[in-house]
Amino acid sequence: MSGRRTAFEIYWEILVFCRTPQSFTGIINRCDLNSKTGQEYLGFLVEKEYLVEVTEGDKTRYVSTERAGEYTALFSSLYRKLFDTPPRFKL
Amino acid sequence: MHESALVRFRSEIRHFYVITIANIVFAALVMAFGISMLIGQAVSMYETFSTALYVIYSPVILLIAFVAALTGFSWLLTSVRIFEGIETIKDDLDEKGSGASDEALTRLIVSMLSHYRDNRATIRTMILVCTLGGVCSFVLGILGSLEHLSVSTDGIVFTLNNYLVIPFMLLTLGVALISLASSYYFSRFAKVWDGRIGEIEESEALLKETLELDRR
Repeated sequence: MSGRRTAFEIYWEILVFCRTPQSFTGIINRCDLNSKTGQEYLGFLVEKEYLVEVTEGDKTRYVSTERAGEYTALFSSLYRKLFDTPPRFKL
Repeated sequence: MHESALVRFRSEIRHFYVITIANIVFAALVMAFGISMLIGQAVSMYETFSTALYVIYSPVILLIAFVAALTGFSWLLTSVRIFEGIETIKDDLDEKGSGASDEALTRLIVSMLSHYRDNRATIRTMILVCTLGGVCSFVLGILGSLEHLSVSTDGIVFTLNNYLVIPFMLLTLGVALISLASSYYFSRFAKVWDGRIGEIEESEALLKETLELDRR
């Protein structure tokens, strides 16, 4: 997913993708981020305990925690709610 | 709730897709019109300077044709960029079918919002260009076909140049109507999507609270 996204949309994308352990490179590729911004987003989510770092051998992977579920569920419901009402013109 | 959101989202994407295609067709017609006029003027220029025929090319028409060809071309490129984004979303949606998960639907909604944010300014320009183009085509279609028009208390009487002009007139009017309709729908969609972006911005406080950004 690329294009102009809000930080909250990027957080959601990362947390959903990291339901299974993912590498840093995998995350920035999937979420279309550069290394610097990717590091910032991951750092924030780790700090807030929405993501944890798991070391497998010499590789570090990121996994969403249970706390992430609350955010992703709220995010999904807010976005789907946009389509609760049809547009006010005939299609 | 999920099913109705999916149905509404799918319906909107399909309609937006059709309007974008209509816009591409209109842009291609404007470009073709410009190119055909350019070629006609090039022939006139050649005949003016190389033959004894009394043919004089018009620099004004040449300029208008050049601008139309160029505008049509850039408009076509812009429409294609918007179309590609919509087509990707529509294809993903069709692939998922009616069994799209909540997560997949949310991802597609986010994709559409980011695509709209990227192209918001372009879509606004398109609304203006389509309206202007539609009105111009409409006027040209009418003017090009009339030989005589009189308005009196008894009613309006008009004479057509030639019966052969009727198909051309209908085509021009058809193009004008498509252009005006696509402008109307683009503006309605833009209004709806602007409203949704506004709703999302209002909801960000709640997301921020959930993420505990304030306690950072």
